[in-house]
Amino acid sequence: MEPTLREGDWLVAVAPWRRPRAGDLVVLRDPRDARRLLVKRVRAVRADGACEVAGDEPARSTDSRAFGPVPPGEVVAWVAFRYAPLGRIGRVR
Amino acid sequence: MFSIRSLLAPRLTVHAHCDIPCGIYDPNAAKVASDTVAKMVEKIDAAAQGAWQRGPDAMTHQNNLVRSIAVKEEHAQICKRELLILWTDYFKPEHLEKYPQLHETFWKAAKLCSKNKQSVDAQAAADLQAAVKEISDIFWATKQAA
Repeated sequence: MEPTLREGDWLVAVAPWRRPRAGDLVVLRDPRDARRLLVKRVRAVRADGACEVAGDEPARSTDSRAFGPVPPGEVVAWVAFRYAPLGRIGRVR
Repeated sequence: MFSIRSLLAPRLTVHAHCDIPCGIYDPNAAKVASDTVAKMVEKIDAAAQGAWQRGPDAMTHQNNLVRSIAVKEEHAQICKRELLILWTDYFKPEHLEKYPQLHETFWKAAKLCSKNKQSVDAQAAADLQAAVKEISDIFWATKQAA
């Protein structure tokens, strides 16, 4: 997810209060392993509500191109804020 | 005792990457394997000279010959496996757009691995080394761009 996120960033994510939209940075359950959480950007929302997600660096991301669209119920949170490292504190979009 | 850090640290970890961290791919494994194949072709040629001579060293020559052939076979297979990992796991559609010859290059390189198993051919070994070099150059160019 570089350059938006870097390994080791500490993030605040909030529970979803609306349907996902294209451009949202979301936390979702990994469709290949429900115990894992992924962070990806919603690239498109299909008519049936499923989200196509992608990394911000497509050449180095495993995403909907590999595991297909994600049902809306699998999106469990929105990434809102980064509180560490100090130099990169702030709103994340 | 809780440190401030452990109090503030996130409770959950989210992943942006696949099962294994990206960036561990390296065409050097294929290069070493293709270099080994080329070296074994040289050694097979040398050992074959002595293998048919009678005398106290005949068994040693035969042993060297068979070992060199076995190692050539093994490393041609390693080379093919390493190339397939790069081809199917590392390279993505974005790379193909920029390097439209990518599939053809990999296909030919994989074929050359087989050819090097079937034959003792210095030219085929050199061709394989060149093909791996070409793939390696593309790999590192995509890394520069990333």
